[in-house]
Amino acid sequence: MSNAVVTKRSKKQALGRYGRVGKALDELDDRLGVAKGGRSFLDKIFPDHWSFMLGEIALYSFVVLLATGVFLSLYYIPSSAIVTYHGSYLPLDGQSMTEAYASTVNLSFAVRAGLLMRQMHHWAADIFIGAMVVHMARVFFTGAFRKPRELNWTIGVTLLTLAIVNGFLGYSLPDDLVSGTGIRIAYSIILSVPLVGTYLAFFVFGGNFPGTAVLPRFFILHVLVVPGIMLALVSAHMILLVRQKHTQFPGEGRTEDNVVGTPMFPVFMAKTTGFMLIVTGVTALLGAFAQINPIWQFGPYDASRISYAVQPDWYMAFLDGALRIFPAWSFHSFGHTIPLEVTIPAVIFPGLVFGLAYAWPALERMVTKDVAPHNLLDRPSSRPKRTAAGVAVLAAISMLFIASSTDVIANFFHISLNTVLWAMRVLVLVSPFIAYPIAYKIASEMHATRGSGKRKTANVVTRTDEGEYVATAAPAYADDVAHDLAPTPVPQYIEAVEADEEPDDGVRTIDR
Amino acid sequence: MGASSARRSRIVAWGLSAFVVAVPLAWFTPAHASTLPPYQTGRRNAGTPNSSVVVKKHGVVTSYGDSAITYRAPSPALAALGQALYLQNCASCHGTEANGVPAAGTTGAYPNLVGLGPATIDFWIESGRMPAADPRSVQAPRRTPRLTHDQALAVAAWINSLSPSYPYIPTVNLKDANVANGAALFALNCAACHTIEGDGDALARSTFAPSLRNIPATQVAEAIRTGPGNMPRFTGNLSDYQVADIVKYVTTEIQHPRNPGGFGLGGLGPVAEGFVGLLLGVGLLALVGFWVGERQ
Repeated sequence: MSNAVVTKRSKKQALGRYGRVGKALDELDDRLGVAKGGRSFLDKIFPDHWSFMLGEIALYSFVVLLATGVFLSLYYIPSSAIVTYHGSYLPLDGQSMTEAYASTVNLSFAVRAGLLMRQMHHWAADIFIGAMVVHMARVFFTGAFRKPRELNWTIGVTLLTLAIVNGFLGYSLPDDLVSGTGIRIAYSIILSVPLVGTYLAFFVFGGNFPGTAVLPRFFILHVLVVPGIMLALVSAHMILLVRQKHTQFPGEGRTEDNVVGTPMFPVFMAKTTGFMLIVTGVTALLGAFAQINPIWQFGPYDASRISYAVQPDWYMAFLDGALRIFPAWSFHSFGHTIPLEVTIPAVIFPGLVFGLAYAWPALERMVTKDVAPHNLLDRPSSRPKRTAAGVAVLAAISMLFIASSTDVIANFFHISLNTVLWAMRVLVLVSPFIAYPIAYKIASEMHATRGSGKRKTANVVTRTDEGEYVATAAPAYADDVAHDLAPTPVPQYIEAVEADEEPDDGVRTIDR
Repeated sequence: MGASSARRSRIVAWGLSAFVVAVPLAWFTPAHASTLPPYQTGRRNAGTPNSSVVVKKHGVVTSYGDSAITYRAPSPALAALGQALYLQNCASCHGTEANGVPAAGTTGAYPNLVGLGPATIDFWIESGRMPAADPRSVQAPRRTPRLTHDQALAVAAWINSLSPSYPYIPTVNLKDANVANGAALFALNCAACHTIEGDGDALARSTFAPSLRNIPATQVAEAIRTGPGNMPRFTGNLSDYQVADIVKYVTTEIQHPRNPGGFGLGGLGPVAEGFVGLLLGVGLLALVGFWVGERQ
């Protein structure tokens, strides 16, 4: 045996069925026992629906943020020390500025690919939070937050809050004229908290505004503390997703007790990897071709300077809008001032919005008394009240979002700024009450209409020999005919897999 | 050649002798002091002749300034033409006397132009704001000028002849101006209304700070020195050198931004960026998600 001829073939046979890779994984399994978990992970079933990809946009732009952020942190200096700029951007030559601003300008102009990385980071942040909001809307309108997924909804809302906070912190780091104004506003907002505002603001800023402590603090929060928490929460989000299995739209063969879709390996893995590359690619294209936050044009922050028409990044815009349009009310008594014009729109209002988001699963359960677990999703039209409530909240927030560009609207359409201001005040208050009944009516009518949401069949018009035109309806799609009331057209090739059968790569069904 | 040099030497001779005679005479006339309108600050570099090198002819200041900005009065010879043009284009509102009284009892309805200085008149006409398209509008917008450059100078010359006043029409020497200094001064003095990227924006009650994207150097300097509309008059706090720095920054970096990061997105900042990020970024990726997600 020992002197048997070693051929290529015998070597291959000795490695076993899965070759070198299989052997390596075997070795790993012997030590760590990864086979069982790995098997169940690779077997995870992803139901096919395009709207389930929205969360992945967020996930992958988070990956882009981490990668580009590491690059930026190599060159950024979180320091408020004053330096005189003598770099390659002439209009700033000889100006005194903080080291933070100078290093940001330098990493934009003097570091290879630095500007690309900065712009990719910023675009990825805009896309990240945008995708989170769209993903959240999908989860909300399809009722995916219901039992057993309330915890994952809570994690998601926390992630959104942290992402907005971290977006603001990152936006503040360059210490340019515009972001410095943003920090000043944040300081005033903290200051406006009744009773403890002054203490809180001094605690956060290490003294009065602007001080020298705020940039290093924001930096550590932005690159370590908040992303660390977010990374942990994203992991928890994904683990819960695997543990609880994905929700699915109702359809043939889909029940509360199974999952119908493609397995993680190889189909979904190919899809999701491709999607990750596309998200990275789109971010890179935006970073390469669309200029974002040109801080060299803004100049360094200086408390004596201000630029008009300053908006925050889009995800802060609804708060900025609330601040802009809120009437100038304040309350003075016992030697204290409570600036309600800041406290209400910038402290109480966001608290209410995010509080409502956190509380929604519980609120809905209180109303519907529905405590059963739900793995099948609602179509938005089948829950008109929830859909209308969501649309109403979105309408009000969208109006606040628009209100953050009152000046741009006034300038672009040549309307008086005061008119725009008052119009936005009215629209913010009125829009939910207009949106609710419209959304409710559309949803309930759609739900009641036979065949709504289905693919339309063609009318085939033929001309007879006599010149008469005859319209005949083309045959309906097979899926739609068989299950007229089933809302989602279901592919025909779903089949249950026998337990001892070799699993194939296509769509299959497993029990929860 | 010969004729023109002879003419030149004659002009020089006449000018010199007139200068020698007229200056001491003018110095002792009380009228000398009264040519300054009462609201002129008279401080250094305020766009007034007491700031710097003054050139006088027949006892009258014809130009003044320093190496940064030279201010010149339009030639008095144009005044007659200017009056004719004024009566055609301006008198229906500002009145035949240019005092803002088109008819008896309408005092206060329209601005009094007497004593405003040639730079003011030139700015309003050459930026196309005057003659106004709609005299009742809150703020006249910039448009294609109705009068030519020479016609504007003529009108300015006639109005100046009614009561000579400052500032004269500036010529900015951009060659030696410092763009970095201009950027800092722009952020300090201009960005609060015109925005840091110079796109202008709406102010209260239908007034607006106009965009600076397409404004010639002379008009930028005129606007700084005369303060049209709601704009403050920057006189005492900005020297001619500082004004030239600002003008250089506006006519280079503001009007021709380098946009090293790609498309400038109209200088609208986060409003445009939000649209691009949400519609192009998230929207495109959602479409791709639709393609990937629905693919079997």
